Amino acid sequence: MKELMTILRKEFIHILRDKVSLFLVLAIPIMLTLLFGFTISTELRNAKISVLDLSKDSQSIKLIEKITSSGYFQVISLPESEAAIDFDFKNKNVKIAIIIPTQFEASLTKEKNADIQIINDVSDLNVASILNNYMQAVLYDFIADFNENSSSDAPVEIATKMQYNPEMNSVYMFVPGIITLIMIIVTALMSSITLSREVETGSMRMLLITPVKKIYVVFGKVIPYMILSFISTIIILVISVLVFKMPIKGSLFLLLFLCIVFMFTAASFGLMISALVKTQLEAMMVTMMGLFLPTVLLSGFLFPLDNMPYFFQLLADIFPAKWFIIAIKDVMIKGSGFAELWLYMLILLGMAIVLVTISLTRIDKRR
Amino acid sequence: MHSIEVENLTKKFGHFTAVDHITFQVRKGEIFGFLGANGAGKTTAMKMMCGLLQPTSGKATIAGYSLKSEAKLIKRNIGYMSQRFSLYNDLTVYENMQLFGTVYGIPRKELNTRIFNSLEELQMTEKAKTLVNAIPLGWKQRLAFATAMLHRPQIVFLDEPTSGVDPIVRREFWNLIYRTASQGVTIFVTTHYMDEAEYCNRISIMSEGELKLVGTPQELKDKMQVDSIADVFVKFVNR
Repeated sequence: MKELMTILRKEFIHILRDKVSLFLVLAIPIMLTLLFGFTISTELRNAKISVLDLSKDSQSIKLIEKITSSGYFQVISLPESEAAIDFDFKNKNVKIAIIIPTQFEASLTKEKNADIQIINDVSDLNVASILNNYMQAVLYDFIADFNENSSSDAPVEIATKMQYNPEMNSVYMFVPGIITLIMIIVTALMSSITLSREVETGSMRMLLITPVKKIYVVFGKVIPYMILSFISTIIILVISVLVFKMPIKGSLFLLLFLCIVFMFTAASFGLMISALVKTQLEAMMVTMMGLFLPTVLLSGFLFPLDNMPYFFQLLADIFPAKWFIIAIKDVMIKGSGFAELWLYMLILLGMAIVLVTISLTRIDKRR
Repeated sequence: MHSIEVENLTKKFGHFTAVDHITFQVRKGEIFGFLGANGAGKTTAMKMMCGLLQPTSGKATIAGYSLKSEAKLIKRNIGYMSQRFSLYNDLTVYENMQLFGTVYGIPRKELNTRIFNSLEELQMTEKAKTLVNAIPLGWKQRLAFATAMLHRPQIVFLDEPTSGVDPIVRREFWNLIYRTASQGVTIFVTTHYMDEAEYCNRISIMSEGELKLVGTPQELKDKMQVDSIADVFVKFVNR
């Protein structure tokens, strides 16, 4: 135990003397969280719309009012022809257009049916699909109002309930993702770099020649980065809750425990990488390409795993991020408890134990 | 009395034999030079003797302990220093010495006394709180040696301890080695400087995993009929 404390103490001195790295490790999570929170929001307001009203009756005017008052759209043009809509798209930065057919009011009252055409600018897929959803919602709302007022037999009835994230807040998606990325960077990347630095400079041999147990040398070097990473995670959580109103529905204790488990797994990946490479540069490259990239692409954080080819779904299973993101979302958003999460934690711990065992035997064979 | 006894020590990596049945003894207090071209197997042999690598076969007794069964006790009784890595640059002189003293289990109070004494001896007491970074290479080397001696080992392994320093510093370093050996500490040193080889009590030359020659510098020169160890080495490696 005293040996472990000695190595820990040394590693903390290294970290505290390297002010630039320390600053980066603590500042990057704050920057990333604020950056994602304020910019990668999936919410759009006041999108420019042009409306071709071929009917110009009382209902079509009501519909235009409805669109304007929704807050999502800003009607900037009322063209007279379809060709003019095209002009708006090209020159007036219009994102979406609708065409209200002739005889709109008559069709609605008599045939209970009216075809409204929505034209999207899909040069930006994300914006287009979000605006399309908003427009659908506005139209449903309009029809509902119409049914109520006409008190006739209601033709359309749609009810959708958004479970767990009723406001469809994007913050729910990115906070677990950022926590994952930061833990991979701070724990896996930093520990693989710091361990391979000792191998590269020859100090690892120096330490291994002393009577200190190898496991103390390794853990003494990795634990400080786990602590740093834990501090970063808490910073991210505080910002998410205070600034972005992210809920933590489940137990905070369980959430933090889950983070510690994942940190252990991330550190074991860093350890494994440092056992495979010879230099700090290699350690950095392998961690970025072999661990960071799969974490971004295959964790379900940015791209849904369900749509991926089967091979990539299998590949995603062997990286820890997928399991952690499922679990952390369940705790924070659904409020799941230990009973629902133990399997994920077991998978993460299992990965860690296997990797630590392999790495420790491999360090023997290194200089 | 021998402090190092090596018998048929062998290390194979797959089909490659890095160290091939080497046998030699080193007396207590002797300065033993371990020479050989790069890749001859010196490092592998030394790693086995320090307990970093398991031998494939053969046996060795280091500081009176068996390599097979008492590796932990060997580690407590040997010191190690290399030029490649001497001390942590971002730690102070005192922190470095404290780190390496503590991992050998020297009690805190005793350790402080020993650190103070060896800094005194090196006339570096006022440098205790200086980062190693800011210390000239020659001083750093003597500091590293003093650090390796803090736990009073019976044997010190010096892995190319003087590469990259000027002749004066090397001369001073060798004075330090002589003083240490005269106190009964065995010195096991690898080097590429042939003039340093002349300073050793006995030297050995390794080539292709085998220990080809062992003897005093004079014996080897006589045997090969040349005037210097450098010529012994060149003539030998060219054969």
